[in-house]
Amino acid sequence: MSPPTPPIAVRASGVDMFFGTPDNQVVALKQADFEARRGELIMLVGPSGCGKTTLLSVIAGTLTPQAGSVEVFGQRLDGLGQEELTSFRRKNLGFVFQSFNLIPTLSVIENVMVPLLIQGRPYDEAHARAGAIIEKVGLKGREEGRPNALSGGQQQRVAIARALVHEPPLLICDEPTSALDKDTGAQIMQMVRDLSRSPERCVVVVTHDHRIFRFADRIAEMEDGRISRVVDDPKLLETAHL
Amino acid sequence: MYRLALNMLFGDRAKLAMLLCGLAFSALLMAQQSSVFFGIMSWTYTPMVNIRAQVWVSDPMVEQVNDAKPLRDTDLSRVRSVDGVAWVAPLHTSFVQARMQDGNFKLITLVGIDADTFAGAPALLTQGRIEDLRLPDTVIVDEWGASLMGRMGVGPDGKPRSTPLKVGDTFEINDIQARIVGICKVKRAFTGGPFVYTTYDRAKGYTLGARRTLSFMLVEPQKGVTPTELCGRIERDTGLKAWTSDTVIWNWGERSLARNTFWWFWTNTGIPFSFGTAVLLGLFVGIAISGQTFYSFVLENLKYFAAIKAMGAGMGVIARMLFVQAFTAGLIGFGLGAGMAQGIGRAMIEKGMPPFVMYPQILWATFVLVLGISFVSAIIGIIKVSRVDAASVFRG
Ligand SMILES: Nc1ncnc2c1ncn2[C@@H]1O[C@H](COP(=O)(O)OP(=O)(O)O)[C@@H](O)[C@H]1O
Ligand SMILES: [Mg+2]
Repeated sequence: MSPPTPPIAVRASGVDMFFGTPDNQVVALKQADFEARRGELIMLVGPSGCGKTTLLSVIAGTLTPQAGSVEVFGQRLDGLGQEELTSFRRKNLGFVFQSFNLIPTLSVIENVMVPLLIQGRPYDEAHARAGAIIEKVGLKGREEGRPNALSGGQQQRVAIARALVHEPPLLICDEPTSALDKDTGAQIMQMVRDLSRSPERCVVVVTHDHRIFRFADRIAEMEDGRISRVVDDPKLLETAHL
Repeated sequence: MYRLALNMLFGDRAKLAMLLCGLAFSALLMAQQSSVFFGIMSWTYTPMVNIRAQVWVSDPMVEQVNDAKPLRDTDLSRVRSVDGVAWVAPLHTSFVQARMQDGNFKLITLVGIDADTFAGAPALLTQGRIEDLRLPDTVIVDEWGASLMGRMGVGPDGKPRSTPLKVGDTFEINDIQARIVGICKVKRAFTGGPFVYTTYDRAKGYTLGARRTLSFMLVEPQKGVTPTELCGRIERDTGLKAWTSDTVIWNWGERSLARNTFWWFWTNTGIPFSFGTAVLLGLFVGIAISGQTFYSFVLENLKYFAAIKAMGAGMGVIARMLFVQAFTAGLIGFGLGAGMAQGIGRAMIEKGMPPFVMYPQILWATFVLVLGISFVSAIIGIIKVSRVDAASVFRG
């Protein structure tokens, strides 16, 4: 008997996303269907321009698609207004960006506090929680420094701390390792796996870095604006050749 | 979040310095230019400040204080008989040449005041006593004039140096001796020359040729009669023109001679135009500089505001962050700029150089303008951030 399939965390179906004017239209997503489960780390892979970032943005509620439905942890995103989407992101999402997007004029710990302060948590509480997670990502002692004083890998660790400090159910990472060397990239993925593993959390990682494929539970391949196949065979994943 | 907003602002010292310099410079420019403008304009009615009396009476054709049209001495008794007048004193003002001991001539403002009442006498003497004006051939000279008329000589360092006139020194007006018995402190005038006070009767002597010497009459109302009321009565009973002497620019009445002088210069000379354009220029440059610097601050942070927005900060929070940043920068910039303007003003006044009057209103107006600029910059920033696509954070 096979174990029960974990419940769905993210479901996007029939998503269309166009950019540009009607005469000069770029089709980024075309009837895209995507599913991610609770407790898993799923990777979105595919050639540049195939629509990975666009799909991620749709799931994150930063882009509203022209057609299709999106459901994240039971919450339908289509039909939500800007305010509701903002509030959805605040509560449910953690972001890790390719270019880190840390605020250079703030200290490391202040950067990590941002999601908590946006939620309206008191400064002292945010400070304490940020301090604790910075320790977890191995940057104890660097709290008061500026992000720019850190290496790329360290900066991405700060970003991971920031993405997880408010314990969001959905963690999304866009090309988290592409600005890092091989070993650092592997360390970062190891950290994402270790820290985000939870039966209630879902992690979606967009990448075209095949060296990190082995960290995925499943890999969804994209082509021309839609998911072409989903790989969940551990052997295939291990070889890192799809 | 506000604490973070401030830390974002203070985090980059170099950029903060630029921003504050821009704001401070524009505040300085605005405060400084308007202060000089009002300073110059206040010089036009200097006699109203130096010669103190509640009501001034002049020939009906007179439009401003620097342009006296002589009255008859008999007008004194006509005004004296108006109901509500406590006393009337004659006043002579004219520009005459004075011959210094070294033979040089200087244009002076001769002020002749009533020897009985000393009405219109300078308020502050730094040397001598006003009563000594009753001695023969005596005058009181203002401090700044005393140095202007000073004797050229060689200082201990071998460089040419002018020694200010002092009590006991003499000069001549129309070949009649003038002996200094006092030095007073008065406000400088637009027309320049030193103020030389003497008695009304002696002023007649100093200006030998003049047939009529009564320039103005200084009038004190009886208790319970307001200056404005008395002006009305004097004008009705004598056909002369009567003025009040209020000089507080934001508070002066219709009949104020200072006010009418101010507006006479405003409409009949190029001063307001030339200095007014300088003020306007200062304003525009100030607005441009501070708007531009704050705007570039917002642009530099746009990326990070977009990230904060993606992470779930509503526009309300971001708007408040931008306001906190803008107003903080505005406040500090204003403080620095206004402080500098005051410092420069002080230095200028100490050197007896150009006019400078920084009314509290000027400071307030500058304050409001700088904060207005900050407000507008913040609004522009907020519009910018609101247009930024939260999805843009995934790019680049
Ligand atoms: N904001 C946008 N405006 C216009 N075209 C866009 C925009 N975002 C993405 N695209 C286009 O949509 C397609 C998919 O882009 P993207 O999702 O970024 O691809 P990927 O992340 O897989 O490289 C590309 O052709 C890209 O040029
Ligand atoms: Mg991409």
